[in-house]
Amino acid sequence: MRLLPTQLSNIIKAMANTNSTPVIVLKDLKKRFGLGDAEHYAIDGIDLTIQQGEFIAIMGPSGCGKTTLLNILGLLDTDIEGEYELDGKNVSTLGMRRQARIRSQQIGFIFQSFNLVSRLNVLENVALPLTYKGASKLQRIQQASDILDTFHLSQREFYMPHQLSGGQTQRVAIARALVNNPSIILADEPTGNLDSRSSHIIMEELSDLHKRGNTIIMVTHNPRLTTYASRVIKMSDGTIETDTHIPEPSHQKHKKRPLGKRKTKVRRKKGKR
Amino acid sequence: MRFLIFNHIQNARESLRSNRGRSALTMVGIMIGVASITTILALSGGASQIVRTQIDELGGNVAVVRPGQVEMAGFEQLTQLPSRQFATSSLTDSDVQSIKRIDGVAAVAPLMIITGAIKGEDEAPTNTHIVATSPELEQTNQLELRDGQFLGPELKITTAVIGPQLAVNVFGTEEAIGKTLTLRGEAHTVVGVLERTNTPINYNGVDFDNAVIVSRDSGRLMNQGVSQIQQINVRTESVAVLDSVITDTNQALLRNHYGEPDFTVLSGADIAQPTSELFTAIAGVTAAIAAISLIVGGIGVMNIMLVSVAERTREIGIRKAVGASNSDIVSQFLIESLFLSVGGGIAGYIIGYLLAFGISTFLTFDPIFSWEIAGVAVAVSLVVGVLFGFYPAVRAARKDPISALRQYN
Repeated sequence: MRLLPTQLSNIIKAMANTNSTPVIVLKDLKKRFGLGDAEHYAIDGIDLTIQQGEFIAIMGPSGCGKTTLLNILGLLDTDIEGEYELDGKNVSTLGMRRQARIRSQQIGFIFQSFNLVSRLNVLENVALPLTYKGASKLQRIQQASDILDTFHLSQREFYMPHQLSGGQTQRVAIARALVNNPSIILADEPTGNLDSRSSHIIMEELSDLHKRGNTIIMVTHNPRLTTYASRVIKMSDGTIETDTHIPEPSHQKHKKRPLGKRKTKVRRKKGKR
Repeated sequence: MRFLIFNHIQNARESLRSNRGRSALTMVGIMIGVASITTILALSGGASQIVRTQIDELGGNVAVVRPGQVEMAGFEQLTQLPSRQFATSSLTDSDVQSIKRIDGVAAVAPLMIITGAIKGEDEAPTNTHIVATSPELEQTNQLELRDGQFLGPELKITTAVIGPQLAVNVFGTEEAIGKTLTLRGEAHTVVGVLERTNTPINYNGVDFDNAVIVSRDSGRLMNQGVSQIQQINVRTESVAVLDSVITDTNQALLRNHYGEPDFTVLSGADIAQPTSELFTAIAGVTAAIAAISLIVGGIGVMNIMLVSVAERTREIGIRKAVGASNSDIVSQFLIESLFLSVGGGIAGYIIGYLLAFGISTFLTFDPIFSWEIAGVAVAVSLVVGVLFGFYPAVRAARKDPISALRQYN
């Protein structure tokens, strides 16, 4: 594989910094629902630091605040108490438009219920995030087609979502989450609606992404899936119960380049213009 | 700043296309409103234009004297116009004589319009007028004869010239020379038949195709021996002297009327003005009524957009999750409603003209084309699209992405 010197140095830097640059820092994070008597803290004081390149599995019983935490991390829910720093910036200082831009360029969502737009075909669904990045139609379709190819879905480009199997649908959803080359991938029970074989394929895909250097935060019920993770967080009643780092065989790490173009490269291109 | 307008347009097209039937029906609502406004404006424009072209065709050297002060605005015209037919005129025979003596005047014709029973072999329709005038009317109004001769001083007072339509109405043929016509019980001999002009709307207030022209003496006999002059048509020798003739006429009549300005001398476009103002007023009122149908259409757009927003709540949530900002969502839905209303507007403009041409085959004038009408059609549909699309678009943008994603289709 041929790499530009800048790219190479970026990768070296990324490798060196893997355990020292926090992507996400949470300080005494609280999320309240309801008022007065009905007041209830779904998240009740969480301190958490997530480094770049981690694969985190968040476990816990229903109603412990896993999904709420994920929504907060994904900037879908910004009505919070405490501090949330994303890439060193406090999100409460960011405007709505800036938040939307971060969702568009840095964060990819994968949902349990897939959440594809039913009236758009596979290709259009995958191209959807690029619309809000300002890409032209041709660029959108090309990039979407490229990413579908890496997921071995090029045969299904013009299928409608309801014509796909569950596993295929989730792979399309992952392709959509990745089309913008986000550094953080948030997955809310990505295999919750799938049989064990499809689950296995999806988890292999996620683990592959992890090896390419993406940060993955996954919410799950299934304890078996934690084997893919580098860190397991158990939650209960809105707080972190246990936080376990799983040591990884080091030779596995960063063998592959992150999918698509790197963020730094995109920036360099913009500067040129 | 990202420039996403084309992406939004593509988005809007996709979503409208996926609901073809519904989009088309919504457009029909706007289409009907815009079509009726277009038809009304095109036809009323055509109607007020014919009077203007008549004046132009007369050659620009015609002035008209009317009793009273004609300085009314459009809406007053609407309410006051009929009274002129009943009020006793302030113009007199001596006014006609005074105008005749002015330098540069080529022909003067007073118009005395009388209603009354007209009978030939058949009874004439009730809207037929008798016009008592001088032989000079032939010059002032450039009337052309199809047959026979016009009135003249050498003829008896019981002679009449009739319009071709009237000839057909009462004698069953246009060949009416020598036939006897009974006007208010008085027998008149037809000495001439006019050429058909097809100008029922004109500045004389009389359709010469469907009128009897008799001498002033005959007219006076029908009116207890008194003249009742509704209008005096003046033709000058050339366009150059028109202004001086108007000034002289004003002075002469003011003297006759002991300084009371109870008459109006009009020329050029002013002659047509009361008529075109009347049409503008009528068109304004009918267009306002048509605008109500446009509001109904607009509410239709709003309704469909609200349904569409509710139906696509989940999609809105997905779009927000993948990076759409609130303003992106607003633009997308606003552009959708603009597509509906402008699409309906353009279709309405075309159908409006088809309708106007269809109707004009039953009328004596054609609809006019003007950029104002096209502008009104486009502007009105744009305004409707924005006005009625804004609320649904804002509602869509305000949706909370988390609860939107939780909703099932």
